[in-house]
Amino acid sequence: MTVLDQAYTRRRFLQLSGAVGAVVGLGGVVSACSGIGSQGGTFNWMTWGDHYIDTQLKAIETSDKIIANISELSGNAEGFAKLKEVKGQLDMVSGDALWVPDAYFKDGLIEPFDINEIKVSSQLYSFAREFPIWTKPEGYLGYPFGWSPISIYYNPKFVDPAPDSWQVLLDPKYKGRLVIENQPEEIVAYMGKAAGIDDVYNMTDDQLATVKGYLEKLKPNVLKFAQQATDSVNAMISEEAYLITGNFGNEDRVKDGGGPEIRGFIPKEGTVGWMDAEMIVKGGANTSLLIPYLEKASVAENIAANFIMHGRPLFNEAAYKVLVNQGEGDRADRYRYNESEAILATTTLKGPGTSTEKSIQLFNEVFGA
Amino acid sequence: MAIDHVGGAAMAPSTAVNRSRMARLQQLAPFLPAGVILVGLFMAPLAVMFVFSFWSTNENLDVVAVWTAENYINFFDNPTYVRTLLKTLVMAAAVTLASLPAAFGVAYFLARYVSRQWARFALLLIIVPFWTSYLLRVYSWQAILGEFGALNQVLQALGLISEPSRLLVYNDFATFIVLVYVYVPLAALVLYASLERFDFTQLTAGQDLGARPDQAFRHILLPQIRPGIITACIFVFIPILGEFLTPIMVGGASGLLIANLVANFFKNALIPEGAAVSFLIAAFVLLLLIVFRRYLRVEDAVARA
Repeated sequence: MTVLDQAYTRRRFLQLSGAVGAVVGLGGVVSACSGIGSQGGTFNWMTWGDHYIDTQLKAIETSDKIIANISELSGNAEGFAKLKEVKGQLDMVSGDALWVPDAYFKDGLIEPFDINEIKVSSQLYSFAREFPIWTKPEGYLGYPFGWSPISIYYNPKFVDPAPDSWQVLLDPKYKGRLVIENQPEEIVAYMGKAAGIDDVYNMTDDQLATVKGYLEKLKPNVLKFAQQATDSVNAMISEEAYLITGNFGNEDRVKDGGGPEIRGFIPKEGTVGWMDAEMIVKGGANTSLLIPYLEKASVAENIAANFIMHGRPLFNEAAYKVLVNQGEGDRADRYRYNESEAILATTTLKGPGTSTEKSIQLFNEVFGA
Repeated sequence: MAIDHVGGAAMAPSTAVNRSRMARLQQLAPFLPAGVILVGLFMAPLAVMFVFSFWSTNENLDVVAVWTAENYINFFDNPTYVRTLLKTLVMAAAVTLASLPAAFGVAYFLARYVSRQWARFALLLIIVPFWTSYLLRVYSWQAILGEFGALNQVLQALGLISEPSRLLVYNDFATFIVLVYVYVPLAALVLYASLERFDFTQLTAGQDLGARPDQAFRHILLPQIRPGIITACIFVFIPILGEFLTPIMVGGASGLLIANLVANFFKNALIPEGAAVSFLIAAFVLLLLIVFRRYLRVEDAVARA
């Protein structure tokens, strides 16, 4: 998950406002009836902008006196580097897939916990409570949130025949018609996949040399690097771009923005993807507030509202049922909300790799002057 | 009194020295806040960056305090970095050369022909763009220069082009245009501050004494506003060496400048690698300032004559 993965539309926002209003009202009633009390306080959370909704935070602040002091997280590496500097000044941090065990846990920055002690975790898909990469003898490493593989989206008006491979990004026919995220290591990983390399975050020098050729072919096709997901979506809406890469759901985002009908696919060579979680920071001064917060923030209604606003699949199974009941089942199915286990099993998960530095050097070498 | 006198006479030299020291300290006092900022927020981070640039990053993305010059060697070994730095210098020079005449025209007009009250109002208008976010301003240029943007629509409406041009954005040309737009107001402000103090009757006097207008301009005006010109050059040229937002937003895949390559290192927590390239840029800027420093003196045209 990155800041590039966030997208909004007015219609989605209005839908969400309604849903959030209902949830806030319901939450207030439930809280008043149940008499659940909390001492309250403020905790410090470094996360992506789509892991919360302001109105939901306000509702929790009102009902439980728990305030989330949020600092923006732009990427895994940057977040990891920041946490190493500030450590216990933060209480909760979001992170992706293998970054959680291979970086945060390995460096002793996070505190494993018993996920089953968090009652709302019963709403998660059962496999999401048992990801082997996040399971350690000391406990579970993170509270699962969202996921998505990276797909290629194309405008069938201009891209013909229908592609099924990363190779379409290298086709000279589409010179200057590709918008791709401004994430050098991921772009190198995509080209690794195009070259048929499996472990694209741990490439050998020979593999990187092969990838260089792919990057050189890719360069003329890149119109621009997207700073955020809306840049890619807007380029598709204006038909400036014929091809983009991104998370699930761009068909809807482009359509919602008044753009053409586009199609997406997972390349046959395989793809990379992310699944993210909230981690409890070791030594955080306010970590006692985190479980009460998660209990409230992660209820199905809130997660369903988050899905509608931000548009990518999440790990809360009960939220899928809420979406179906709200008449949003089709949308959830288009985002393959209910297929996480199968899709993630075929995805190379994001993580810190042994070839990170060489990947960046390679990217700079190809995309520099 | 006598005791005082004797004692005073005996202590006189040291008292004088103390007073002199106190006076010096008092003179330095106003510099203290700036000094603290300079040392704390500039010199110290620069020193840290310099040290980091000789360390390395391990596979766990930890900075490892093992001394090595590899980061610098990589820079000079890889022609891309040197080429990108040279490209950045050329871009910075081109933008400076384009911005200066544009800014000078505005500043000269305001300083010479417009009343101070209206000039201030005009200057306010010049700095209006600074009230909005840099990001928004650059985004707006995507909408102006884009394939389906305002400029293409105007050109098509005028019949100058039959189909939208893709040459206006996502290339070096677009980066150049946007950087000129961003930095002209800065240059104009600096030049206006310089021209405002100039006594324009000197130009008339020069011409009365037989100088052609261009001679009066070159030999009377330019020498006196040279510090302003040099400062404007510095204000435009140096920040461009660190520009990464404009190139990434309107420069496209081929428009990246050296700061974009540095940003790629930092985004991936490769701090020593990024620090080495940053330090090379900083060293270059320092060198530039040392070279330009001698030109910052005000030249007295009358005394020279």
